[in-house]
Amino acid sequence: MPLVHETAFAIQLDHENLRRARGPETAEMNAPSNGAGTDAGATSAATAATADRLLADRRRRRVGRLVIATVLVAAVVWSVDVTIVQDTDWKRMGSLANVLEAAGEFVGVDWGLFPDLAKPALETFMIACLGTLLGVLVCIPVAWFGALNITPFKPVTYPLARLMMTLSRSIHEIVWALFFVAVVGLGAMAGIFALAMRSIGFIAKMSAEAIEDIDPGPVEAIRAVGGNGFQVLIYAILPQVLPQILGVVVFEWEINIRRSAVLGLVGAGGLGLVFFRQMNTFNFPGVTTVLLAILGIILIGEVVSHFARKAAI
Amino acid sequence: MSTGMPSVPPGAVAHQLRWSRYRFPDSLYGYAAWIAVLGFLAFSVNYLDIPLARIPDMFHRMVSVIASRYYPPDIEYIMDRDYLDYVVETIQMAYLGALFGLGISIPLGWFGAFNMTPSRRFVYPVARLFTMGFRAVHEMIWAILFVSILGFGMLPGVLALTFFCAGFAGKLFAEEIEAIDMGPVEAMRATGANLFQVMVFGVFPQVRVAFTGIGIYTWDVAFRAATVVGFVGAGGMGWYLKRAVLQIETERVAAIILSIVVLVMISEVVSAYARARVMKMK
Repeated sequence: MPLVHETAFAIQLDHENLRRARGPETAEMNAPSNGAGTDAGATSAATAATADRLLADRRRRRVGRLVIATVLVAAVVWSVDVTIVQDTDWKRMGSLANVLEAAGEFVGVDWGLFPDLAKPALETFMIACLGTLLGVLVCIPVAWFGALNITPFKPVTYPLARLMMTLSRSIHEIVWALFFVAVVGLGAMAGIFALAMRSIGFIAKMSAEAIEDIDPGPVEAIRAVGGNGFQVLIYAILPQVLPQILGVVVFEWEINIRRSAVLGLVGAGGLGLVFFRQMNTFNFPGVTTVLLAILGIILIGEVVSHFARKAAI
Repeated sequence: MSTGMPSVPPGAVAHQLRWSRYRFPDSLYGYAAWIAVLGFLAFSVNYLDIPLARIPDMFHRMVSVIASRYYPPDIEYIMDRDYLDYVVETIQMAYLGALFGLGISIPLGWFGAFNMTPSRRFVYPVARLFTMGFRAVHEMIWAILFVSILGFGMLPGVLALTFFCAGFAGKLFAEEIEAIDMGPVEAMRATGANLFQVMVFGVFPQVRVAFTGIGIYTWDVAFRAATVVGFVGAGGMGWYLKRAVLQIETERVAAIILSIVVLVMISEVVSAYARARVMKMK
């Protein structure tokens, strides 16, 4: 059993470490008795100093950890007090039975709603697909500018691309949708733009990182045979990063299906709109039905993405 | 997919064959898949009535809308005490939601990791289903559901973020546990440790650093979500945003969005720094 040997070896190693750690003390004890030379004494003093420093370091780290833990726990207590204890209208919520009753209204499925869900579900799916496509198209220049090794003019284009990535990821899709509804009006178009803007950040960031990690050999080879910048991009860089980028795009598409289902809240159509209509008419089983439909298209997306990612890699 | 050269019959002239990465049936499937995807996208444009001709015009419109309505942002509006209270509340909501979510996601990750799950036939699919269900439903929908059950306030926001974070971190935790070295686990099992002891002494030391990193990242993601869950009445800055949107005070909306962007950027920097520190400890 090699496993037993390994464990035994590990234990032995541990003892070794322990002995080494105890070293300074034993050395100090031994040094005066056998009257060793100054050389050994200096060494043991140095070791002792190192050990002292290590111990102090450890103590400091332990204190630091304790402080962090205390702060975190205090923050929990404070947050629970402010957000849950004080801010909640306990009287209005009533007893646990009332809450369970309110939750119980969602149990059940409104089967009559199913035929009306096909069209919005398809719309949601399509908004996600087109949003991802548009995001990928906009991504190409952003990833190109944002990869340190190929960015055309580093002082300007690199920060510009980074800013674009952060902006895209830090603004929630609902906010993007609000903005685009104001610009292009209600409808699928606003949803597509919102999803595209929201997707740029992640796809571009992952693509730029993939491009930064490429093997520079093919790039040099294409340059050496006289390829221009565009040809280098197409023949040396793209083949190396395409499988990775496709994987990221499929992943983002999957998330976009999830996102497009809520864009109806701000008027971008699809299943979200049906969801809020059911909610506003207090048809709670209908709400559950819409949720099931959302789960259904997400499941389809997950299955497709599983196979697509396998094919891409 | 099979890669490599097409097989050349002995005696055939090799340079007459065109080289392709994929052999005949695979290449056909590949092209068919691409054509199907493009066809579906074209069909979607048609189905959703996207006015392609108007898109160039829209950029012009976008600039003019920003210039005329959203500029300049009403910074004074967000500089008062009331708004700052909401910002603090948002941070607290994100913190609690991430914390509770992480608490749920650790068992979810354990049970949903194929190599460490107590029962591959019963517990594993259930844990996977829960993780997927938590993840599949958008945080806004969780917020709406909880608001309708519990009423307005921050509690539904915290719960919505909890569910969202549980799904988010549960999946990452499970993947992290599936990638561990099984040697220590086997060693623990060989010495007769029970399930819990194997987890604490065999698995946990291996994933501790990664879990901390994921935890910090989860907080970051939760904060981004927390800035908007108030939109449906779940507390925090989203409520302010909703009010400004409904009043069509576009300059205030611009200011609030600007403040969200700045706060998210700060949280991103903080989380990146904290993750780098944690990784260095490894």
